[in-house]
Amino acid sequence: MNFDLDDDQRDIAAGARDFFRGSASPAAARAGLEGGRLEPGRKALADIGFTGITVPEESGGSGRPLLDLAVVAEQGGAVLAAPSLVTAARASVLLAGEPHLAAQLADGSTAFAVLDGSPDGSAPSIDAADASAFLALDGDDLVLGEGEVVPGRPLDATRGLASVRLTSRRVLATGAADLWARARQVGAVVLAAEDLGAAERCVQLGVAYAQEREAFGRRIGSYQAVKHMLVDAWVGVEQLRSLVWWSAWAADSAPAELPLASSAAKACAAGAFEQAAATLIQVHGGIGFTWEHDAHLFWRRAKVDRLLLGDEAEHLDVVARLAVSGAFAA
Amino acid sequence: MDFDDSPDEAAYRARVRELLERHSGELLRLSPGQENVDARTHEAEMRRTQRVLADAGLVGVPWPKEFGGQGGTLVQQSIVSQELARARVPVLINHIGIGMCGPTVIGHGSQDQRDRYLARLLRADDVWCQLFSEPASGSDLAALRTTAVRDGDDWVVNGQKVWTTLAHVSDYGILLTRTDPERPKHAGLTMFVVDMHAPGVTVRPLRQMGGQSDFNEVFFHDVRIPDSERLGEPGEGWRVALTTLMNERVAIGGAGGAIGPTVETLAQHARDRLPALDPERQVLARQAVGRAVVAALGARYTGYRRLTVLSQGGIPGPEASAGKLAGTEAARLVADAGVRLLGDDALYAATADGDDQWQRTQAYVPGIAIAGGTDQVLRNILGERVLGLPPEPRNDKTAAFSASRSDGGAR
Repeated sequence: MNFDLDDDQRDIAAGARDFFRGSASPAAARAGLEGGRLEPGRKALADIGFTGITVPEESGGSGRPLLDLAVVAEQGGAVLAAPSLVTAARASVLLAGEPHLAAQLADGSTAFAVLDGSPDGSAPSIDAADASAFLALDGDDLVLGEGEVVPGRPLDATRGLASVRLTSRRVLATGAADLWARARQVGAVVLAAEDLGAAERCVQLGVAYAQEREAFGRRIGSYQAVKHMLVDAWVGVEQLRSLVWWSAWAADSAPAELPLASSAAKACAAGAFEQAAATLIQVHGGIGFTWEHDAHLFWRRAKVDRLLLGDEAEHLDVVARLAVSGAFAA
Repeated sequence: MDFDDSPDEAAYRARVRELLERHSGELLRLSPGQENVDARTHEAEMRRTQRVLADAGLVGVPWPKEFGGQGGTLVQQSIVSQELARARVPVLINHIGIGMCGPTVIGHGSQDQRDRYLARLLRADDVWCQLFSEPASGSDLAALRTTAVRDGDDWVVNGQKVWTTLAHVSDYGILLTRTDPERPKHAGLTMFVVDMHAPGVTVRPLRQMGGQSDFNEVFFHDVRIPDSERLGEPGEGWRVALTTLMNERVAIGGAGGAIGPTVETLAQHARDRLPALDPERQVLARQAVGRAVVAALGARYTGYRRLTVLSQGGIPGPEASAGKLAGTEAARLVADAGVRLLGDDALYAATADGDDQWQRTQAYVPGIAIAGGTDQVLRNILGERVLGLPPEPRNDKTAAFSASRSDGGAR
């Protein structure tokens, strides 16, 4: 038993932290709401190799396990980076049989998005707004096509959500339902990892403010009503970290556990991130409710992410069904 | 990262299984659906079970060999715990002695005390209890009033302890007393080993809200304790008690073990009972089951992370409080899901066939949110010592304890 990151993974996380802190920020997420450019953007993520972490080496990727991508995604989440590494994770599973396309994913020469729902009019899908090549499940077929992109007014611009109607489609694989399901589970793990980073950042910002802001003659973090809110949010983050690491590890090392682990992580992420973001606003009081403060940018991300790739109720149901059908049988 | 046993761990697990099989006829076992046994009715079998396990080298695994342990690792201890659970062996009768009293004697006792007590403790030749809480000092433990007054080579103890688990079958206890009421509350405390069979010790059972009697109140009337039974220096009792409390929070939910029924138990229950609910209720029950499973897995895997840190030489820190907090919440959700699955039977204290496992579990949960540090005290510890938030202002830390009480500290 060894449930901790190894030195390589710690180094990867440290490198990713430096990269993302230098290239993305909540300020960019705010600007994005008013039409600004999203940071660090597809090209920068490809150039540093993050979109290719799980792409095989023969396609120009790093051929690393999902856990490596998850620790990078966590760092991106902490600064609300865009686009999401969910797309890279999910597309690299779907393109496993297409080395040429996988190479375009890794080097960023093609802007992929993965569509949820029908290819004739998809659900709002991550990073579809600026994509040019769309992967979708058409019946039982995995298809790739171009499409007509219809974005909505963004609640969280960093997610690049848009609905897409495919205008062309090429079948990449038939009988692809299982592959599609696995890609979605991998996507859920990475989404939960980004939420982990964002939720932990919420707790850090809330703690920092509670350590300095004074009311009634003392620092507000000394009041149990404030302290306990922050502790509960932190405990939620710690539980989420464990489920994110376990599920990311399972993707490569215990694939039979991935359906349960990914749904557990995604369900936990929905609640833990929402709680952390709501706590961040509440601890700050009025200033936390302003456009200029970063709190609402985390809150927006939480309100969107909780519904993407299946909401909490859907994943709790998956977990329960797996438990009933024997996931824990001795 | 690897959740599988290493070759060494796998070999150790195989040896543990082999030992448990070899001794299976001598061990008390839980029947299906049974979660624990009552020490009141099964004391002899429980002592025998622990003795057999100790002689097989399966008790006190991480304790140093010089104290009767195996000099093993915490991971080996968790393997033993898993295999005992798998073999349906109930919680050891001396779990408080092993988890809390023993480490306190190791940390603060004299060589003579270690020699006399520790090996017998591991074999359940002596059962131990922890005499801390009092009627007027629960969370505020340092406000305790039980006094120990020096008299020649002895100390004379008077006072009352409460919520003392296993006192009714105990041979010894670790006893926190006030020896100097003129010093500030934390500075006037001293810890002792007390012989529970000594004249003047009276144990009376208390009945819990669920109907069981696992804990007691204990009265001390002019009980004489030799000075050689002191643990640590006079006035050092608070520091000694912190050793006990830190070990307690690791023991309760700190290393991946569930507080209350496991996910596996809940899953089996869901398999049995879910189909009997009407379809709308099944949807709601699955939400409850899913929520409980996610919380329990979160607590379990967070415990594994902590176990990994400890097994690499880390010492138990305040983070262990988070394990107990999260484990308690998971237990609450597991109990709630378990009861929901009963349908209309949840309205009674037992199902028609007399099974009351989930109702008992439900009635047990309020206690675990209190015992070993209330949820609120744990949040204070985590907020101040992990997150670095400022403490609340206090006016009870510097004044003499006697000055803080209207009766001047006299009993």
